[in-house]
Amino acid sequence: MRRLGGFLLAFICAAVPAISSAQQAGPSAEPKPQTVTVTSTRDPVDKSYRKMIRGMERFEREHALAPQAQLRFHLLPRTPGVNMRGITLRVLGDHIAVPVQVADDNTFVLPRNEQALREDAAVVANRKTTSMTWRAQVITPGLPPGTRRLGDLRLECLVGMEAGLVSNSSPLFGWISDALTTPEQVCNSPKGNFLFFNERPIFSVILQAGQRSEILPFKMLYAGGEQSRDMLPFCDCQVLLDRTYYAPIWDRSWPDDTLVSFEYMDDPPASAELRP
Amino acid sequence: MKRPILILGAALAFSGCATTPDEPGKVVAEDRFTQLVVPGRTTRAELLAAFGPTKAIVFDSGYETWLYEANAGGGRHTELVLLLDRAGIVQKMRRRPPYPTDPER
Repeated sequence: MRRLGGFLLAFICAAVPAISSAQQAGPSAEPKPQTVTVTSTRDPVDKSYRKMIRGMERFEREHALAPQAQLRFHLLPRTPGVNMRGITLRVLGDHIAVPVQVADDNTFVLPRNEQALREDAAVVANRKTTSMTWRAQVITPGLPPGTRRLGDLRLECLVGMEAGLVSNSSPLFGWISDALTTPEQVCNSPKGNFLFFNERPIFSVILQAGQRSEILPFKMLYAGGEQSRDMLPFCDCQVLLDRTYYAPIWDRSWPDDTLVSFEYMDDPPASAELRP
Repeated sequence: MKRPILILGAALAFSGCATTPDEPGKVVAEDRFTQLVVPGRTTRAELLAAFGPTKAIVFDSGYETWLYEANAGGGRHTELVLLLDRAGIVQKMRRRPPYPTDPER
């Protein structure tokens, strides 16, 4: 945190004189107008195509974490009321537009396109970008219904961070996060706080590896239970709080084949839930 | 100027998404808790009267989760978690025992 504070101080010290000098520049310093060709407009927080391709390359390098799984990307609601049906996606560069097919479950595979890479294209949805958040989706086939595999989640974190998918806050906030949090820092640390989302509101999360079984502590559900109403809009868990959990992806005492299962808020109650 | 300071403050407060220290649930006697709390019947008012307020999270759905804790010895705690519906009635309960890998407080 001290390092972050120092970085912010340096950022402010560097930025303020630049703003100040721009405000003080008189008419004599006014730059000559330039002509540029703009064929499309990009939201400043659209996803970077280059970064998402880097995420896909990371998936290939770390595939041993989930050898049977394929990679997809997943769009999730970020703000209240966003319509998650009929989403279309395009890879948009200065002179290229590549449509991306989005499945009914709002997952998609990103095509590789060299021209889009050269043009530093953006991945753009027909929604206000800040209305959604994005995640990598890595699912090993054949798992028991309703379960996840810890190695899959480890890979989702690495790919998601490499691809710049987390939409936690304002562009400034996102920029600071990107500068200070590498995939390794986030995914290999108990303080990494990488959020996973379930399809349904969760009440309990259980890990199972061989004979070892543990229930996740309360602080690993609902984004740690630390989000006040004022701060929640800064978190990409804003409308998914009751589906949100941390997984101990940093803890290598849990093997990649560890199964993660869930009890849901809307499950029928068991007969003697509290009795040990 | 207030807005940039607010944003920077938020950036400091969040690294991934959360950084405030753990706020434990209120410590109660587990035997009394399991005797008094009955899913489908116990109300918010009854919980407050019997055990007092504790750490709680309110969701957009109107549901709430409440965390109480019981001493398990050796500086460790058992978690007693409740799910309350929109009417404030306990719908579910669960118990998480301490594990050897849990950090001591």
